[in-house]
Amino acid sequence: MKISALRLFNVKRFAGRGVAIEGIGDGVNVLCAANEFGKSTSFEALHALFFQPYSGKSGPVRNLRPYSGGNPLVEADIAHGEERFRITKQYYGGGFARVTDLASGRLVAQADEAENFISALIKGGPAGPAGLLWVRQGVTGIEKRSNAEEDGEKQVRASLLESVQGEVEAMTGGRRMAEIMQTVAGELDKLVTKRGPKAGGRYAAAIEVRDRLAAEEAQISADVGLLREALDKRATALKRLAELDGADERQQRQDAVASAQVAFEAAQAQGERLKTAEAEFKLARERRDGAGRALEAFRTALQKDADLAARRREAERRRGEAVGRRGEAAEASARAQAAADLADAQELETRELLARLDAALRAREAAERLAESRQRLSEAEAKRAALEEAEAQLALVGIQPGAIEELQALEIELSGLRAVAEAARPSVAVAYSVEAGGEIVMDGVPLADGQERSYDGQAQLVVMGIGVISLRSNKTPSGDRRLEQAEERRRALLDAMGVETLAAARARQVRAQQIDAEMRELRGSLSSLAPAGLARLREEVAAQALAGAELSEPEGDAAQLRAALSAAERQRLDARQALREAEPDRRRAEDAIVAAETALATLRTEQAHVEAQLGPEEQRAARERALCEDFADRSREAENADARAAELRAAAIDLVSAEAALKRARSVQSSVEQQIVALREAVAGLNAGIRARSDEAVEESWRETAEALSAAELRVAAFDKEIAVLQRLAVSLDRARSEARELYLKPVMAELSPLLGLLFDDASVTFDERTLLPQTISRNGQEEEVERLSGGMREQLSVLTRLAFARLLARGGRPAPVILDDALVYSDDDRIERMFDALHRQSRDQQIIVFSCRQRAFQKLGGNTLAMVDWRP
Amino acid sequence: MFRFIHSSDLHLGKRFGSFSGDLPGRLREARHGVIGRLAQHARDHGADTILLAGDTFDTETPAPDIRRQALAAMRDHAPIRWVILPGNHDSLQATQLWSTLKAEAPANVVLASEPAAIHLSAGAVLLPAPCTTRRPGRDMSAWMDGAATPEGALRIGLAHGAIRDFSEEGASSDVIAPDRAARAGLDYLALGDWHGPLAVDPRTRYSGAPEPDRFKHQRPGEALLVSIAGRSALPEVTSLATASFDWQMRELHLLDSDDPLQALDALLPESRQRRQTLLRLVVTGRSRLPSRTAMLEAVALAAPDFAFIELDDAGLAMDCEAGDLDLIDRAGALREAAEALLAEAGDDGLSAGEREIARAALARLFSYAQAVAS
Repeated sequence: MKISALRLFNVKRFAGRGVAIEGIGDGVNVLCAANEFGKSTSFEALHALFFQPYSGKSGPVRNLRPYSGGNPLVEADIAHGEERFRITKQYYGGGFARVTDLASGRLVAQADEAENFISALIKGGPAGPAGLLWVRQGVTGIEKRSNAEEDGEKQVRASLLESVQGEVEAMTGGRRMAEIMQTVAGELDKLVTKRGPKAGGRYAAAIEVRDRLAAEEAQISADVGLLREALDKRATALKRLAELDGADERQQRQDAVASAQVAFEAAQAQGERLKTAEAEFKLARERRDGAGRALEAFRTALQKDADLAARRREAERRRGEAVGRRGEAAEASARAQAAADLADAQELETRELLARLDAALRAREAAERLAESRQRLSEAEAKRAALEEAEAQLALVGIQPGAIEELQALEIELSGLRAVAEAARPSVAVAYSVEAGGEIVMDGVPLADGQERSYDGQAQLVVMGIGVISLRSNKTPSGDRRLEQAEERRRALLDAMGVETLAAARARQVRAQQIDAEMRELRGSLSSLAPAGLARLREEVAAQALAGAELSEPEGDAAQLRAALSAAERQRLDARQALREAEPDRRRAEDAIVAAETALATLRTEQAHVEAQLGPEEQRAARERALCEDFADRSREAENADARAAELRAAAIDLVSAEAALKRARSVQSSVEQQIVALREAVAGLNAGIRARSDEAVEESWRETAEALSAAELRVAAFDKEIAVLQRLAVSLDRARSEARELYLKPVMAELSPLLGLLFDDASVTFDERTLLPQTISRNGQEEEVERLSGGMREQLSVLTRLAFARLLARGGRPAPVILDDALVYSDDDRIERMFDALHRQSRDQQIIVFSCRQRAFQKLGGNTLAMVDWRP
Repeated sequence: MFRFIHSSDLHLGKRFGSFSGDLPGRLREARHGVIGRLAQHARDHGADTILLAGDTFDTETPAPDIRRQALAAMRDHAPIRWVILPGNHDSLQATQLWSTLKAEAPANVVLASEPAAIHLSAGAVLLPAPCTTRRPGRDMSAWMDGAATPEGALRIGLAHGAIRDFSEEGASSDVIAPDRAARAGLDYLALGDWHGPLAVDPRTRYSGAPEPDRFKHQRPGEALLVSIAGRSALPEVTSLATASFDWQMRELHLLDSDDPLQALDALLPESRQRRQTLLRLVVTGRSRLPSRTAMLEAVALAAPDFAFIELDDAGLAMDCEAGDLDLIDRAGALREAAEALLAEAGDDGLSAGEREIARAALARLFSYAQAVAS
């Protein structure tokens, strides 16, 4: 389609008048005029002619009307292929639309038919699409605009582009495709949104119903389960109850209890009998044991009696012996006493004789000694003077010289005393009879006849044919008092000297010897002169002088007398010893008698006791027999009792088991009773639940719900399938359309790239698939959103895109005019010139109509200059 | 001559939850109506006994109104005697049901709840085999073999369950011996459970449900009128129509050349029957897109005539020729989309579901394209 002329009357500022732009030709046509000259009005009028129905009163139509009102009229001559038409539209009063064939002047169409003709021109009708490609002042088709406006434009553009598409593919279907897709989307939209089932939609409702039914079904199913369980439980309970509560069962339980009771009682009775038998057995056993013990005791007593008799005889014998021994001992003692008395008398006599002899001898000697003493006294007194001096010296260092001697003398005396004591020891002498067969041996040494032998402590006499005689000296000799006194003195002496022993004293004396060396000589002389001291010598002299007066003659032999005295003394001591020996024998004999008597008395008592037990001797045998028989009887009785008890024990019923059995039988009975009660309660409880659920007919509800649920599930599945089908279809359509668009955009791109090359180096454009508008531009490898580009660049791109489309249409033999209404307001001079180049480049076989107020700038565009002339229809 | 009516599987109280609207109510009411129709047949044919061989009630716990109204209806038809046998749906395990029935049953309703002989008349003894549980697991009719009956009296067995593995409940081990009648010397064995009428042998029969409840059996509901002249005489059996609803499953097999509308027209029942008809239409064979679309429209058009209509076209293969696609578009994006869907519908590499989706999408595209074109 090409536009060859545009005329308008009573449009906007042209109230009551009209203008015409004639002679629009191929290539670039430029209408360059100052502002307010009417360019935009012309443009809007042309737009309305093609896009606003004559009967419409929409915004664009109202805009056409002058302020003064009136009926806008727009007319355009177009060439469509070989034909040329005139399209005329009047709005408002007397509004019409009319298409006439310019060649013949024939009215082709009017009113709605004319509108259809026009829209066929734009959208492509039976004769194929044509179209107009518009770029308006400042409207690049890229900026955001109000939704309604945008939608309108988009619809227009879409329609245009779809015509283009159809042209490119030489196939129709774009519109049908869009409608089908819209239908599919609409159908889908009723069911689902991007987020899932559409709320309130049929699908969501079906899902909701299904879910509700599923929940209900689960609920009722649980109820049915409970009901069935309750029914089963009740059936089980009733069955169990019938079993438990049956007359037979009841009777059986009672019988069991009764028989257990009987068994228990029998066991109890048996137990009692056994206890009695055991007691009897125990008693019998005790009695048997008693009898046995009596018999045993009796026999023991008999035995003891016999023992006692023997022992008594022995004791009596011993007593006899002891009495005999006592007699002997008494006799021996008497004898010894007599011998002692005799020895005493002899000794006394001898001693007196000796004393008298001694006295006579001493008197004689005294007289002799007096003369000598007087001699010695004079010598001694001389010596003494010298000695006294020496003594004075000696006194300083020495001890009493006499002390040692005294001590020595004491020692000697002690020896003497000890010898005397020795003489007092006991002795024994034997006077053998003529017919004696041998000698008595004393301590291994034969004892001669009449020989007296002393001994210490004890001695043994072996008498052949008789035995051994033991002698004991149990008495200490009397008269030792002197010995003690001597010893006492000795001790006192030692103490006085300050020494322990005689030897010590002597040692001291030796020590003094050196000091009184000269004194010794003097003393020697003196002592020889006055052995007992000077004073003593004087006293001696005086005494001798006195004693010499009663001088008597000694009689008898002194040595003989002394020997006699010594013998007499020995005799006396021996006699004393013998007497002392005899005494213990006698005492022992008496003690033995006492012991024998005591033993005998004890035995007698015991024997009396045993005899009391045994009873009279003549009845003892009978008694023993009786005891024997008693024991035998008791043993038999005990055995019998034991046998009876054993018999009972063997036959005993286990009382514990019987009791347990009874207890069990009773507990069975009571537990069954409890079970029966519990079961009845359970059944009653179940009855209520079952009745309630049965009355609610849960099973019917369940089946109903289950069936409804499966129906709902089928419905949801059907929806699922429907959605899948629709989605599948939508995807297929979308994919097919995308592919087709790619196919279609290829030539557009082919057309566009040289144009882009005019303006930009190395630039390419991608298109939005939905709107077919430029989306991104890629320059020097960098991709930019078109929206971010500068205004100038956007408008340039917009124009170039239109040019490319137009070129595409033209190549398909369907040229469409490109109308630019001040479309390059933002572009700089350099770019404008390049755009002009592009326009001219595209203007072959192509109509481009440019409206612009930029007169100077557009002078360089060249092309067919259009002018506006007054016009009246 | 002893004469009675043999029926079974009334399934009173069945609710038909899979249907919507007032159809479930109508179907339920129709089941109750069977009582009256059976009684009418009994009166018409001079039978005084109606044997119901199990599943009289649909569940073990029917709603009180179902139970009471059924008993009331039976009582109203006195002196006709009703013998109710526990089936698997209303087995004796439903103690509540049976104890209530015992308490409520009128004089002319006999509950065959014990395997013990029931004297129907001077010369006829009924040997019932009640189901003790939902699945008894054994042949309940075995006791009939040794059941003593008076000399010369007719022995009539009454049992519920499968004789082969064709039970309504699927596989089951507790089958009734098919030759029970012969073994137990029965003159007639009235069986229930199978919803379609079936003669096992001259003396053993399933009456089928008097009012069908599913599409499975291709016969209208009926009951059997049984007349037995005497011992050793073969029973004389007559079918009696009892159903008020017709459950039909019709198969429409299409060939490429068939006109689906014509075929459909021939298949659908007469208009006056349609209200009482539940129809399942199974379309198989092959069809081209336009025929298919036309047929679907025709079915949709006819649907309101029926109580229920269900179309199963899963078995209908789609034939598609270039001309059919031309009706969508001769070329261009639409044609491309159609070609792609057609290829997918026939692509064996895809799952059956995906193929079906593609097929349906193509059919849908076809119908939309026609709508846009018109």
